[in-house]
Amino acid sequence: MSTPKLALVDLTKRYQPGLAPAVDHLNMEVEEGHLVALLGPSGCGKTTTLRMVAGLMDPTAGRIVVDGEDITSIPVHRRGMGMVFQSYALFPHMNVAANVAFGLRMRRLPKSERLERVRRALDMVQLGYLAERETKALSGGQQQRIALARALVVEPTLLLLDEPLSNLDAKLRESMRGEIRAIQQRTGATTLFVTHDQDEALDMADRIAVMNGGLIEQFGEPSEVYERPRTRFVAEFIGRANLLDATVVADRGPSGADERRYDVQVPGFGAVGAVGAPGLTGATRTMLVRPHRVQVHCDPGASGSPGTVESVSYTGDSVGYRVRVGDRAQLAEAPTDGRIAAPGDVVRLDWDPASAYLLPEEEER
Amino acid sequence: MSATTSIAVPRLPGADDLPPGHGVHEHRSRRRDRRTFWALAAPGLLGLAVTYLLPLLYMVRMAFNRGKPDGFIEQTFTLDTLIKPLTDSYYWKVTLDTFLMGLVVAAICVVISYPLALFLTRSTSRYKSLLIALAIAPLLTSAVVRTYGWMVILGGAGLVNSTLMHLGLVTVPLRLTNNMTGVVIGLVEIFMPYAILVMMSGFGRLDPRLEEAAASLGARPRAVFARITLPLTLPALLSAFLLIFVLSISSFITTNLLGGGAVHVLATEIYDQATGLLNWPFAAALSVILLVLFGVVIAIYQTVTRRLRLDA
Repeated sequence: MSTPKLALVDLTKRYQPGLAPAVDHLNMEVEEGHLVALLGPSGCGKTTTLRMVAGLMDPTAGRIVVDGEDITSIPVHRRGMGMVFQSYALFPHMNVAANVAFGLRMRRLPKSERLERVRRALDMVQLGYLAERETKALSGGQQQRIALARALVVEPTLLLLDEPLSNLDAKLRESMRGEIRAIQQRTGATTLFVTHDQDEALDMADRIAVMNGGLIEQFGEPSEVYERPRTRFVAEFIGRANLLDATVVADRGPSGADERRYDVQVPGFGAVGAVGAPGLTGATRTMLVRPHRVQVHCDPGASGSPGTVESVSYTGDSVGYRVRVGDRAQLAEAPTDGRIAAPGDVVRLDWDPASAYLLPEEEER
Repeated sequence: MSATTSIAVPRLPGADDLPPGHGVHEHRSRRRDRRTFWALAAPGLLGLAVTYLLPLLYMVRMAFNRGKPDGFIEQTFTLDTLIKPLTDSYYWKVTLDTFLMGLVVAAICVVISYPLALFLTRSTSRYKSLLIALAIAPLLTSAVVRTYGWMVILGGAGLVNSTLMHLGLVTVPLRLTNNMTGVVIGLVEIFMPYAILVMMSGFGRLDPRLEEAAASLGARPRAVFARITLPLTLPALLSAFLLIFVLSISSFITTNLLGGGAVHVLATEIYDQATGLLNWPFAAALSVILLVLFGVVIAIYQTVTRRLRLDA
């Protein structure tokens, strides 16, 4: 692989000696042109990581390498990053054009070039007509796009987005996702994106770094993180999950590349099928089944494990069930075209063995 | 897709978010709002009228009387008393000195207090509230006591002069009291807590993210200060300047004690005329000049802040 655009090497931030570090020996490599989401609950260290990359915060230890060059000790104003803040941080005493021109002014660009680039940046976010407006009069979505234009106009080495969508209402957030992604792809700006919203990360990112307690639990493509989570935390944080205790009974041969099919024993479900890494026979593992992969059969003669419906939630697109099997409740999401079960009904649950995944053993932490 | 758990925050209201008017209904409710306003404001306005407006009118009326050499007041309606200070170069100098003293005290006070206020606003130390309390603690002591303190410190054998002489920096004690230098030093210290308080309350607009955004866009620390911090704190700085200016040109105790009779400003002249010479009409005339001075400065302040679009 060629030199990564950004490499974080053992990056560590400890706010106070004695306290657990906010970011703990974090290692990550980001490819040129990729949009990488730093995803995790609040307090997981994602914003701290972003601020260290921006140069707004000094790491306690470790290195930040951009294009093969160590920039750890370079001050923020010489890093050439483009940052978009959660609150947008538009300068209230400047109009839209002056906000966008700020970075170019600091780079002492001649006026003609400055005007041209500001115009192009505003056109890119389709807000050219607002150039002379005051920033206070703009809506949240407009402010957000101006902040993006201001960060991109300087052609930053990295685009850093700190929860850029969380101050927008739900509908706008969704359309802005697509817009940010499109602009990012058009400009080819390598982007770090901090979010606590897993949908956002899955939708927009080329790679997702799921963070927890200052560590990256998993770094991979969205589908990989969703389908093949490395830890229980990742499985639960990304999407909804049924996590079952499974004892692996027998190896039933290969399933795709590097994986095996197994017979497993699950309390309440008896003998079922699952896939996982090789060499799990005899081991006990956590088994993940996504709710929409669980099939709900209302016909009492059907195959599968019997359970009692505890609650039903109808959303139009699908029906969500909570079904008690043995002493634990499981989630299932079924299409709305079949019969819809009612609370108290006995249904049978099963799934395609290929969609039940045995998590790798968790490291001691 | 699975359900997200994030909370939608309503977007900032823009001009097009304002609800449309409701014609008659809106008109009626506005009239009721106005009635409520007057009902609530009446007790305060009445109090102000009795304790402030009436005495002020009485004072202005007094300026049209004539003071007689024997201390009696001739009830009349003349412009002589008001015109007298305007034709006397001595009072022009006193007025100018008053104005300059106000400017110098306000300027020094604001310049010294600004970094302190900025530091206190930004501090994330757990001792922050203690530091703020310390900064405004001088207000717990009366200005008279603090003025006497300064007389002791600045006097010929005081702390400052004895230190300077011990160090061999001066051979003759510096004259730091009974002149304008002493008055300025005393007033600056006495008004600093006010300047700090006014500025801190005005610095709320300064979001540290703005400074970070500027730095990330390539602004060196000095450029961040000049282009972001200073412009955004300028309104608070100007309010503090105005307040300290008004307080210093109307201050009497500190000016009188530290000036030791050698500093002549409008406040001391008014006192001398009113209590020494018992010439109330002339004291009132000088007070009117002081009021006009206030008015002029406030008008300048308003024009400046509006020009700079800093009122927001």
